[in-house]
Amino acid sequence: MKLYEYEGKALFKRVGIPIPNGVVTSEPIKWEGKAVVKSQLLEGARGKRGLVRVTEDVYNTILELKKLGIEKFLVEEFIPHEKEFYASILLDRETAEPMLVLSKEGGIDVEQAKDVKKMIIPLERGVRSYDIIEAEKYLGVKGLSPIIQGLYKLFVEYDAELVEINPLALTNDGKLVALDSKVILEDNALYKHEDLLKELGRQEVRDSYVELEGDIGIIGNGAGLTMATMDLVKLNGGNPADFLDVGGGASREHVRESVLKVGRNPKVKKIVINIYGGITRCDEVALGIVDALKEIKKPIFVRLLGTNEELGKKILRENGVNVYDDVLKMIGDAVRS
Amino acid sequence: MLKYGTKIVAGVTPGKGGTEVHGVPVYDTVREAVKEHEADASIVFVPARYAVDAVYEAIDNGIKLIVVITEHIPVLDMARLVKYARARGSRIIGPNCPGLIVPEETLIGILPARAFKKGNIGIVSRSGTLTYEVSELLKNTGMGQSTVIGIGGDPIIGTSILEVVKMFDEDPNTDKIVVIGEIGGTMEERLAEAYKRGEIKKKVVAYIAGMTAPKEKRMGHAGAVVYMGMGTFESKIRAFKKAEIPVANTPYDIPKLLLS
Repeated sequence: MKLYEYEGKALFKRVGIPIPNGVVTSEPIKWEGKAVVKSQLLEGARGKRGLVRVTEDVYNTILELKKLGIEKFLVEEFIPHEKEFYASILLDRETAEPMLVLSKEGGIDVEQAKDVKKMIIPLERGVRSYDIIEAEKYLGVKGLSPIIQGLYKLFVEYDAELVEINPLALTNDGKLVALDSKVILEDNALYKHEDLLKELGRQEVRDSYVELEGDIGIIGNGAGLTMATMDLVKLNGGNPADFLDVGGGASREHVRESVLKVGRNPKVKKIVINIYGGITRCDEVALGIVDALKEIKKPIFVRLLGTNEELGKKILRENGVNVYDDVLKMIGDAVRS
Repeated sequence: MLKYGTKIVAGVTPGKGGTEVHGVPVYDTVREAVKEHEADASIVFVPARYAVDAVYEAIDNGIKLIVVITEHIPVLDMARLVKYARARGSRIIGPNCPGLIVPEETLIGILPARAFKKGNIGIVSRSGTLTYEVSELLKNTGMGQSTVIGIGGDPIIGTSILEVVKMFDEDPNTDKIVVIGEIGGTMEERLAEAYKRGEIKKKVVAYIAGMTAPKEKRMGHAGAVVYMGMGTFESKIRAFKKAEIPVANTPYDIPKLLLS
């Protein structure tokens, strides 16, 4: 679960990471002096889209941004600074330990940074004094301790997937301040943090749906098979509109909801469904598809294989749905239709 | 599993001790079960919130192979668990995996029997259904399997692709190896490096799912996500090409590559 910038910063404050003074608002407010008005959206690249503005006129800036449909703003004091760095912690999958990532090039996409330092900080020992010395020497600054300790604490205690400060500013008077926050909590661990969810007014949602740019809706069972189906559509000249994995043992109702979810996306012109029934029953899937077709009228191409496949195919054929044995033929037909 | 011929000696469910399921006695704890029966493997179907305890319990009672089917176990819990298991000589397969099958011999997992037949291809995969798909395709083209292992779709798992490929390389029943990977993490890259160094002698053929996946979006599996540009589709394909491991464009090209 990705947190909003202001939510992430509230957590930063709690663990002792310095942040600018600011307020969260959904209405225009009066503000003395120079400020940064930051639209609170979960998508990135807010700066490039002109949704983060430095201004002396906070009131009217918020009014303008509201016209663009933005609902929530973080208004912060403007902090003059000399340098911007990057700092984050995420899990290193190879060592199964937290990894601190630092860069002297802050404020840009870290993937584009040429100068990056990665330090493994094992769970068993946590952050130690010599880690701080190494990090401070690399960035050429002092006072990193509360920042690294804070990030690490957030990462471990809140089961985060990623805690990121980009940029971490070095102010003209030599202080380090987190100008932005990116905190992604691990969905699987949210049940341990009910208090935090309550505080944020958020709910645990579990969803494997990912929206993409194209016009062919994709549904599969199993992440690998669903991804492979997306890739096949692309290789055959089509463009996937989404990724939706119905998971193992999907019920009729779950399949119906999934087909409706994909079908209701206005960009979707047709839907490809690829099912290998292991613990999933093809007849349940077929019934779910037929149910959904009562509510949406878009062409559907289905490949069913595995448990109860004959029954599933029969149900689909009786309801006039295109059903295939061969995945490649199904995708070819779907792309060309 | 019983139907497939797997010898299941006991089940464990707290509160159900003393009952029987399909003739298999059930115990409240693993300790009670291993006192009465000899077991060298265990399979965990326990819901995520309780699965971590179940795996610790199996390790503490000396079970050497633990297959964890459960999905949605928190990743930091898993990180600690994998280390705990290694230090005590237990091997975890999974979590979030379909388990493993030695066709016509034994099944520890939920893989559907229809997809497999005895043969000499070893398959290791991060996916479930895609593995069944490929296995059935191989079966239909006359290629059976020695062992098929789904290692799981999570970011932290007990057994890596490279570890399984090395076991296949030493396994006299395996002649060729199929690797089914996906975006996220660097397990595929590690395999390619080892292959390039000459550590694996047998033929390896690979497929990677997720060519069209956007970055920082989780594609169903907790582990199928690219952060900081690590473990992209391109990076994996590049690594395999460099190691001269043939990569199938689609899962349906795997049989052709195995035969060439």
